[in-house]
Amino acid sequence: MLKGVHQKLEAQQTPAFFVRGHSPFSRMVFFCALSVGIMAVDARFNYLSQVRQAFIAALHPLEVVANAPSEWYRDVQKYFSAHNALVQENYALKQQAFEHQIKLQRLSTIQAENDHLRSLLNGNIPIQPKAVLGEISHMGRDPFTHTVVVNRGSQQNIKAGQAVVDSKGVIGQVTRVYPFTSEVTLITDKELSIPIQIERNQLRAIAFGEGNNTLDIPYLPTNVDIKVGDKLVTSGIDGVYPSGLAVATVTKIQQNPESPFAKIVSTPVADVSNHLQLLLLELPEAKENNLAPPSPAEVVDHKKEGETKKNSDLRKNSSTEKKINHKNKAKTNAPH
Amino acid sequence: MRHTSLVSVYISLLIALLCQLFPWVGQGIIFRPDFMLVVILYWLLRAPNLCNVGTAWFAGLLVDLATGSLLGQHALSFSIAAFIALSYQRRLVLFNTWQLTAYVAAILTIERVLILLLKLFEGNENPGWHYFWPIITGLLLWQFMIMMFGGLTRPKTN
Repeated sequence: MLKGVHQKLEAQQTPAFFVRGHSPFSRMVFFCALSVGIMAVDARFNYLSQVRQAFIAALHPLEVVANAPSEWYRDVQKYFSAHNALVQENYALKQQAFEHQIKLQRLSTIQAENDHLRSLLNGNIPIQPKAVLGEISHMGRDPFTHTVVVNRGSQQNIKAGQAVVDSKGVIGQVTRVYPFTSEVTLITDKELSIPIQIERNQLRAIAFGEGNNTLDIPYLPTNVDIKVGDKLVTSGIDGVYPSGLAVATVTKIQQNPESPFAKIVSTPVADVSNHLQLLLLELPEAKENNLAPPSPAEVVDHKKEGETKKNSDLRKNSSTEKKINHKNKAKTNAPH
Repeated sequence: MRHTSLVSVYISLLIALLCQLFPWVGQGIIFRPDFMLVVILYWLLRAPNLCNVGTAWFAGLLVDLATGSLLGQHALSFSIAAFIALSYQRRLVLFNTWQLTAYVAAILTIERVLILLLKLFEGNENPGWHYFWPIITGLLLWQFMIMMFGGLTRPKTN
């Protein structure tokens, strides 16, 4: 009814020669309302992730076409790389491999020793997560967020939430998975936070991305034992990132007399702009069910508690508790 | 109004989407023009019988899906930009080249500011002045469009 009135009015105001359906203004109002609605739905609910996935899958051929020139360029560059440079690189890599092998020999004995000690203390042996090698296909297209897109997707069993690392340290976390690609949010993104530990004194904290290539560690008092140059590693208590991966180094500490907290700025050690390969670590939850049977001490614990909760859930809780206890013990015993 | 086919509109939009999908490395993304916006603006001003605010909205939605930003952001800003473009479309005959360029620059700026506002509401950092570079590169792209597809008005015949 309203529509009819509207058309009549328009017909009166403008000659029929110019009439092109609805006026731009009414169209604009309609489409603005529609976009606001879509924005609200996208921000609050998960209904539209399916749409997004389907669209990205449909767009994949177009993406391949768009990526083709840069890949050709890379191939050509590879082909024409000078013999001398290759020989030098080969020499350097051999030397590096040799050094790594020596370190690895020591590591395996230390690992065995560590596992043995943990079993003596009834602690559980940390799992080595499986990993998938991926390649960065491009940086995120939204200049406001810090993301990279990797050429592994749900077809390769990638799941949202997986940790992503490179040879130097943690890069970030998989946030969106599409059929052939997945989006990795970098730890410098404002939306991402990562539980860390200071390597020197095992102090646990949470680092937040600042949105400008640095990490911030808020809520630490001004008298906290932290120095410029301290290495931050993952603490492993979140169940996403395995413990002990390098995250960042502290670069600046500001103590503001007005604030009870120190402003601690650190820069990530991993650098996505320098290379393409990265590792996507499997989520620990996925492996929980096919784990080796729990150690006898844990089973006894469960029986004592006598609860009907999910076994895996409990195991996780008890293991984290144990880890923390273990750490505390180590802290009090070890002469730092 | 010279004859333009609907096919050329959609093919140029597809090419614009392809350019948007092109892997922009490092600093390149700062200078990346809004391909979709410039192309849709060109067709809105050149052939308003073939596309309207709805087409611009759809193009914006495609940009949202391709960039992975909050769905509807670019759709909203594109439809407002399209409305502004269309509201002066019939007076464009009176504009000379410089006035037209200024007009397009104004629309691009408005769209950019709208996106900035939406992103700030979303809780993002203030990106700084380099955020406005795409207006300059967008104007270059606009000149390229005019070179490719011809000016907006009928060539003068004396």
